[in-house]
Amino acid sequence: MNETVDGTFAAGFRWAFARDVRLAWRHPGETLLVIAFFILVASLFPLGVGADPGLLQRIGPGVIWVCALLAAFLSLPGIFAADYADGTLEQMALSPHPMAGWASGKIAAHWIASGLPLTILSPLIALQYGLAPDSLAVLACALALGTPLLSLLGAACGALTLGARGGGVLLALLALPLFVPVLVFGAGAAEAQATGLSPSPHLSLLGAGLIVGAMALPAAVCAAVRIALD
Amino acid sequence: MTINWFYFSSPSTFYRFAGALAPWFFALAALAATAGLYIGLVVAPTDAQQGEVYRVIFVHVPAAWMSMFLYFIMAAYAAMSLTFNTRLAAMMARAIAPTGAMFTFVALWTGAFWGKPTWGTYWVWDARITSELVLLFLYFGFIALASAFEDPRRGDRAAALLAIIGVVNLPIIYFSVQWWNTLHQGSSVSFKGTSMHVSMLYGMLLMALASWMYSIGTALVRVRAIIVERERRTRWVRDLHPAIPRSVPG
Amino acid sequence: MSHDFYLWMSYGMTAIAIVAEIIALRARRARALLHVEEERELEAQD
Repeated sequence: MNETVDGTFAAGFRWAFARDVRLAWRHPGETLLVIAFFILVASLFPLGVGADPGLLQRIGPGVIWVCALLAAFLSLPGIFAADYADGTLEQMALSPHPMAGWASGKIAAHWIASGLPLTILSPLIALQYGLAPDSLAVLACALALGTPLLSLLGAACGALTLGARGGGVLLALLALPLFVPVLVFGAGAAEAQATGLSPSPHLSLLGAGLIVGAMALPAAVCAAVRIALD
Repeated sequence: MTINWFYFSSPSTFYRFAGALAPWFFALAALAATAGLYIGLVVAPTDAQQGEVYRVIFVHVPAAWMSMFLYFIMAAYAAMSLTFNTRLAAMMARAIAPTGAMFTFVALWTGAFWGKPTWGTYWVWDARITSELVLLFLYFGFIALASAFEDPRRGDRAAALLAIIGVVNLPIIYFSVQWWNTLHQGSSVSFKGTSMHVSMLYGMLLMALASWMYSIGTALVRVRAIIVERERRTRWVRDLHPAIPRSVPG
Repeated sequence: MSHDFYLWMSYGMTAIAIVAEIIALRARRARALLHVEEERELEAQD
């Protein structure tokens, strides 16, 4: 009588992606917070270091990257914590769809709600910092490549810390060191462009990292979720 | 004759094995350190450019090597613990972490005190030094995550997965000197031949051996403490230290 | 700062770190044995 559903990666992905995007759309608080935090902190730096245009232009790529990184970090608990708390995660684990599918869907939705807005906003902040159009473009490209990787890495750390003592600080201790290579190459790309060197090594490494991360990290996320649900 | 590969994966058999071996490793460490320090501080000549201060390499370089090597070993035990679901492999990973963190700290500290007289600055944000700092946080993260759960097995598994994810950081450290133009001294030890005086090389290798033996010794001692802590409800642990009979009042 | 200062700070901290680790190790073992005693007492009370 009951039709068995054949679980597939794609179906699981689509389902989780649609669900989480819809949830983020209906409750835009999280996304708005990420955007607000990004703009706010990026505005704090000139107040702190002085508005000298040369200085701001010099530190712009790095500062914008750090702000984006922190803003993305803030939204990490939201990927799994709510579903873990109300038992939805357990239900999803029981679904016929392979876990990698729906986990990837959740991570992609997280990027749509955090990394993508940051990437789109970055040119505006970059203008505030007086970055040249070409550096601005490279910065946006670097963020476009790097923020999905941050979502992937962050999701793995978020899943590892489900139900752990130490809360957000533990998540920071786990995630921020893993973010460092992304930050180094991401900011390095824009800085390279600004100093006249080619950003392509940096962007290539980011791209490669994203490809490898997209292949390997969902498996790590699944393992972490299984550990959390045992 | 079939070999039972899992014979020593039982905490009780490994406990005795580790207890018997540890002193030998400490003895070897002391021997190698004595020889290494003698060569490094007495035999090796003064460096043409750096004078006497270059002798920091006899603690700095072994510490840096150990900090990375131990992380790899820890991740290997982590992978083993997840693959075979053995408790002992996870306990070994936990046993290695503090020693790894210690060597990372020593590498950073001695590096700073080598950098000041030679480059003029205690700290520089080049790729290798920064990655070493990140490695310190990876160790802290592992230790923190492993201890963050009521159920120690959950901590074992979560930290093991973290260690495996963090292993990606290590190749970046190692190859960073080739990828970046930095202040940091280009790797001068390779299998093709070195650019330093032979006695300096021997001194460094002996100190590296000493730190390796020391690391194994401390890991074995620490894992024994972890085993006792984890298995404290079992008969064999209780029998290790029979209760001291106390006089019953009245 | 003479070069000796840097050598002393480096070797000194290394020595301190190793001694500290060994002390911490002994403390950990002592704590573990204490917990064994506590478990034994708990069981004896049953």
